[in-house]
Amino acid sequence: MHIPDGYLSPSTCAVLYVGAGLGWYGALRRIRRTLTTRMVPLISVFAAFSFVLMMFNLPLPGGTTGHALGVTIAVIVIGPAGSIMAISIAIAIQALFFGDGGITTLGANCVNMAIVGSLVAYVAYRMISSGAAITSRRRLIAAAAAGYLATNAAAFIAAVEFGIQPLLFRNAGGVPLYAPYSLGVAIPAMMIGHLAIAGVAEGAIATGLVAFLQGADPALLHSTSGLAPDSSAAYSSTSLRSLRKLWISVALLLLLTPLGVLTAGKAWGEWNASEYSAAAGRARIAASSQNQPAPSETPTGLQRLSSLWTAPIADYAPQIVKSPALGYLLSGMFGVGLVMSLCFAMQSLLLRRRGGPGQAA
Amino acid sequence: MSSDRTIGATLVGLARALGHALVSEQVARQPGLLQAFDPRVRVAGLLGLVLAVTLSHRISVVLALLCAAVLIALLSKVSLMTLTTRVWLVVLLFTGVIALPALFLTPGDAIFTTADGGLRITAQGATTALLLIARVEAAVTLTTLLVLCTPWMHVLKALRAFRIPQEVVMMLAMTHRYIFLLAETASQMFESRRSRTVGVLTGPEQRRMTARTAGVLLSKSVELSNDVFLAMQSRGFRGDVKILSEFRMRVWDYVGLTAFLVIAILAVWMGR
Amino acid sequence: MTAVSSIFEVQSASFEYEGIPALRGLSLTIDRGQSIALVGANGSGKSTLLRLLNALCFPSGGTVSFCGDPLTAEKFRTVSCEISFRRRVALVFQNPDVQLFNPTVFDEVAFGPLQMGWSTADVVTRVDETLQLMGITHLRDRAPYRLSGGEKKRVALASVIVLDPEVLLLDEPTSMLDPRSQSQLIDLIQQWKGSSKTVVTATHQLEIVEDIADRVFVLEQGSVAASGSAREILSDADLLLRANLVHAHRHTHGAMTHSHPHLHSHDEHKH
Repeated sequence: MHIPDGYLSPSTCAVLYVGAGLGWYGALRRIRRTLTTRMVPLISVFAAFSFVLMMFNLPLPGGTTGHALGVTIAVIVIGPAGSIMAISIAIAIQALFFGDGGITTLGANCVNMAIVGSLVAYVAYRMISSGAAITSRRRLIAAAAAGYLATNAAAFIAAVEFGIQPLLFRNAGGVPLYAPYSLGVAIPAMMIGHLAIAGVAEGAIATGLVAFLQGADPALLHSTSGLAPDSSAAYSSTSLRSLRKLWISVALLLLLTPLGVLTAGKAWGEWNASEYSAAAGRARIAASSQNQPAPSETPTGLQRLSSLWTAPIADYAPQIVKSPALGYLLSGMFGVGLVMSLCFAMQSLLLRRRGGPGQAA
Repeated sequence: MSSDRTIGATLVGLARALGHALVSEQVARQPGLLQAFDPRVRVAGLLGLVLAVTLSHRISVVLALLCAAVLIALLSKVSLMTLTTRVWLVVLLFTGVIALPALFLTPGDAIFTTADGGLRITAQGATTALLLIARVEAAVTLTTLLVLCTPWMHVLKALRAFRIPQEVVMMLAMTHRYIFLLAETASQMFESRRSRTVGVLTGPEQRRMTARTAGVLLSKSVELSNDVFLAMQSRGFRGDVKILSEFRMRVWDYVGLTAFLVIAILAVWMGR
Repeated sequence: MTAVSSIFEVQSASFEYEGIPALRGLSLTIDRGQSIALVGANGSGKSTLLRLLNALCFPSGGTVSFCGDPLTAEKFRTVSCEISFRRRVALVFQNPDVQLFNPTVFDEVAFGPLQMGWSTADVVTRVDETLQLMGITHLRDRAPYRLSGGEKKRVALASVIVLDPEVLLLDEPTSMLDPRSQSQLIDLIQQWKGSSKTVVTATHQLEIVEDIADRVFVLEQGSVAASGSAREILSDADLLLRANLVHAHRHTHGAMTHSHPHLHSHDEHKH
């Protein structure tokens, strides 16, 4: 899943570098506070461990072998902030020293695997294991699920990054300048391998390691357990609420969404019914489809369906907002806010149902 | 024995990591072009060229940059053999396989059609595939040159010039150093387990064994980090790490830096 | 009189690792300029004691004092106090990989002085001097994973003596060393013995004790079982057997079979 140089356009790389930078900034600030002086040796050794773990050939059910990322166990032992740094460092060394993964795409790889991977693994692990005792079986299931989900989330984001390249970056002759496969090809191509193999590998190694630690050294599982603070906890805990800074980073990433507006015209395929009837609209459609002439009338199917659902925020621009960029931004924020609220609502529902001693944020 | 193959493959991977490092150390000592420049110039210059590779839209420019990279390599006493085995073949295999379907899937003007009309190769498809492969080859060649000709610590200390925090540099250095220790420990564990198993292991047994090896490695890693922390404290470390930086820019370095920038800007301008 | 010449005073110190006691009410005094050996089987508390003496951890009960001042966590919150202590008291760990965490030998030896705030010029001069002293100048730019066991130990030593400490705490310095490196190390310790440095060596290798120490403390299960001169301790076979420092085995000489505590010492053993 390490994206080499040349697959993503410079502007995509730049945006993702900014996103990664925000993630690193937030993570560093957090670990400086909780781990203080211990940070340097702990993160370094964990990064080295992840690196070596990535090289293990893991035998999987069905006779295949796969490679794990190591992000799940990093999240479980040193928390999401530590994991973001450790995995990013491992990725950086792989790219710089071993030529695995690009330098311009370092930001993208870190966003996909280290940041999104860590956050998804953390939320999934905490939600599924909340309240469970350190040595319970539920934690094993949580680890497996967290690993599986995190790997596939990272793969999905990578696939999206690939898939939008030919849409946004083509030269005049219609040649895709970077990754040449559209979303329709990129997403299935990436996801199949990860749903079937890589995700399973990560889940398997996460579960295996948690099982090992439950027996050999349970103190290491305390800091992300969500249980009441224990004097035997190895590192100080991270509550979900205190991930505020990381959520802020996500929010700041959203501020970059207006970049989408910068691409001239509409994304390919996203025309609405009215554009087909006007001559100017048709000309635009033709221009972006390699001069295949647009149909002279709105396709009937499109006509029918388009009246079915009038989005409350049509064209991403709430009526009251004049500037398209601001409208885009607000809609994006609203969208993410909606997803986040859903996540937190689900989590509190799960907690309330379980009851239990866990005092997760 | 499939368990043998799995472990064997892991061992090969771990050994490769060490081999990589040794080659780097040899080349970095040679009296070549790149080695003569301040490490910061090398980092800025070579990464600047990588950026130019990514910014160019023309395949001719990208190929020209690749040729420039090869020239720099030869002048820096890096053998073409090293580049071929370490970079070109690997990239060709990996990216070549990924780029192959693009020949057929990219919409555009057909330049070749199979007899039954089932498969079309388009001009756009060919161009994009070639462009992708050329870009990746050029970029990885440049990055590899940087690492081959510069001792790892110099690469990291050069990063300080680009405002990367001292702790991050220290973490990169320490991680790199301990990768070798952990890789060796893992190798030894695998080898000893391999010599102690008789016959073929079933799938679940293999998984258990791998998980247990990983688990032991994890415990050792945590223990190692605790001990390293004590060792650092024992020598006065209190959280702010201080790194010695002995780089001085000379006239020759400024000349080199300018040359790199000129080439990069020229390439971007001509490739727009 | 004792207050002036004693450099370390440990009074009834206790310490636990995760609930398991490592030191139980241990007391001893070390005078300035002495060369001490701490002997005991693995798990007897030698390493823990060295770490307490180096203020890397603090006792849960009792006190550890350096030059009359108790070492406490509060005191070490101040930079000046910590820096001045760490300059004067140095610890060489048993596992050199733990102590070699920098990318090159030069950086490793330079780490201590840099953390203490020395100027770049001073650091470079001093490091080069130290490398020469230890005979490892040719390893200056080598990475630690390319060093042999003996070379690693020498670099580890160099990295602490660069600060010219008054006290050297050595944890199993001869472990993992080939015979030649071992004897070179012993020579070094003997050199320090002659100078005004205080050297405390933890070891379970009895054969080197006579060469490196004036005074021996025998540790057993976290406290001092006996103390005395090297000769006194080494001739007390029962003590050594009890402290699990020697083994007893049977061997045959012609028609006779006998068993006795077996110690590979410089003297001949009696039959």
